[in-house]
Amino acid sequence: MHDDDTTASTSASENNQSTKTVQSQTAWVAGSDAPEIPLVNLGFMALTDSAPLIVAATQGFAQAQGLTLELHRQPSWSTLRDKLATGELDAAQNLYGLVYAMHLGLSGGSATPMAVLMNLNHNGQAITLSKRLLDAGVHDGASLAAYIRQHPPLRLAQTFPTGTHALWLNFYLGSLGIDPRRDVESVVIPPAQMVDYLARGDIDGFCAGEPWGAHAIAEQAGFTLITSQQIWPDHPEKVLSARAEFVAAYPNTTRALMRAVLEASRFIELNQDNREDTAALISGQDYVGASTSAITPRFLGRYEDGQGHAWQDAHALRFFADGHVNVPYLSDASWFLSQFRRWGLLTATPDYQQIVSDVQRLDLFQQVATQVGLSLPHSAQRQSTLCDGQIWDGQNPEHYAQSFAIGIEAH
Amino acid sequence: MLRIMLINDTPKKVGRLKVALEEAGFDVIDESVSALDLPQRVEQLRPDVVLFDTDSPTRDVMEQVCLLSRDQPRPIVMFTDDQDPRTMRQAIQSGVSAYIVEGINAQRIKPILDVAIARFESDQALRQQLLAREQQLDERKRIEQAKGILMRMKDCNEDDAYTLMRRQAMSKQQKLIQVAEQIIAMDKMLQ
Repeated sequence: MHDDDTTASTSASENNQSTKTVQSQTAWVAGSDAPEIPLVNLGFMALTDSAPLIVAATQGFAQAQGLTLELHRQPSWSTLRDKLATGELDAAQNLYGLVYAMHLGLSGGSATPMAVLMNLNHNGQAITLSKRLLDAGVHDGASLAAYIRQHPPLRLAQTFPTGTHALWLNFYLGSLGIDPRRDVESVVIPPAQMVDYLARGDIDGFCAGEPWGAHAIAEQAGFTLITSQQIWPDHPEKVLSARAEFVAAYPNTTRALMRAVLEASRFIELNQDNREDTAALISGQDYVGASTSAITPRFLGRYEDGQGHAWQDAHALRFFADGHVNVPYLSDASWFLSQFRRWGLLTATPDYQQIVSDVQRLDLFQQVATQVGLSLPHSAQRQSTLCDGQIWDGQNPEHYAQSFAIGIEAH
Repeated sequence: MLRIMLINDTPKKVGRLKVALEEAGFDVIDESVSALDLPQRVEQLRPDVVLFDTDSPTRDVMEQVCLLSRDQPRPIVMFTDDQDPRTMRQAIQSGVSAYIVEGINAQRIKPILDVAIARFESDQALRQQLLAREQQLDERKRIEQAKGILMRMKDCNEDDAYTLMRRQAMSKQQKLIQVAEQIIAMDKMLQ
């Protein structure tokens, strides 16, 4: 689909669109689709995953929708959560688990009704372990499990207690027969600081988004044990989130924001030049603040694990894939709830269906997808096979949560 | 606790407001209206509210209010004895968030300040949005202008010019508008 021919013609039509948007602006203002407010304060973290937001804000995509996106980089997920909850941020890149923790009031403070507007990317996270462990013979899941059984608990870091990375790490350890609640020590560290902690020997490993896994290898501090796409090929990762209150007060602004981010995501994946330019852009000090050499290879799917293996990844970081990436599937959301349940963050069976259909704004996504010319999937659920061999298709999440050997404990 | 900068212009009733404010539990900083560097003082002391206590807002007082709302916008509350609607209108136009005639007691101060702060915040938000809208239009114009310059210089079509600009912006980790401005500046220099 994204060969060079379509590239040229699509990019031409995209530019025509932006000129047309300028002309139709007056019609919009008279009609009903103009953003209610011209400025949206948008939070993001120093991660490769932030690319669509950075491109949308800086390269004319928001402008074409009559919006100014003011980017605010956050030092940690907890700061991002607080600013989003208080309204200092209108919308933000977010972790699935963090959005749902806010919505359910599981992450400190009272519950804040939340909205997941769209998925921002699939894949592109990794579990990195220290060089010391590699030297001690740990190189894959089996050798890690054997090591853990014979040594004092390892200290493994993730980025937020209910966040995606904690859940990838827990899921993977669980699949190895390791109970993440007692066989390892789990700590929380902001992603951009992981490599420093690892290099100093303060932690034995971490699960985080790129470029921090690649950066750990470049700094010779660690190696990639497993990528998140090996745990769950094409797993949901970051989402675009807002408070439900914001969405209700500014529906046009919300849709304009979504269109800008979708168009930026489409642009990034249009061709290799755009991908490389995007990697160069986001490496800037105001954005991810890491070298292009740490960002670009994995951004283009070129992996090297720091223990001599190199491959072109079939499930590398994706932002668009004709909009398939961006659908806020109900089954993606209920997977996270099932893991909350599994690890005891939810101590009773939640109303999975009610919760996910409240938060996942498929209605808005549908409207926006049609406006930017995307075809939608027939179902709000999708089917995946995870690294433990189990199939997840969104059906019966409570049964799924109960199905793990290392899982729900009696209280 | 709210920090209040109290600017007194009523020699005959010195202290009437200060005492009431302190009784209501506020942190009060005293200033004289003759202070010429009011915006700088506000910048240094960072009060949450600036409060003028004046018999009748003189031209000097109005001047100070205008300066403040331009350089160091803060909620401004004016306590006065002047009931003239024209003065009131003038004060509000200069940037006063609440204009209170007479009748000061400790219980009323807190709600008055709350209203002033809320009013100020919504004014600021509106102003910010107006500015954002103006800026958007302006940026759009300049991007179009830069595109035109590139089309002329490189003898290329609109889409190619746009792609060139975006490529340059991304590889230099800049915004599209920054590159547009550079092109316009360069064009001026070469003319």
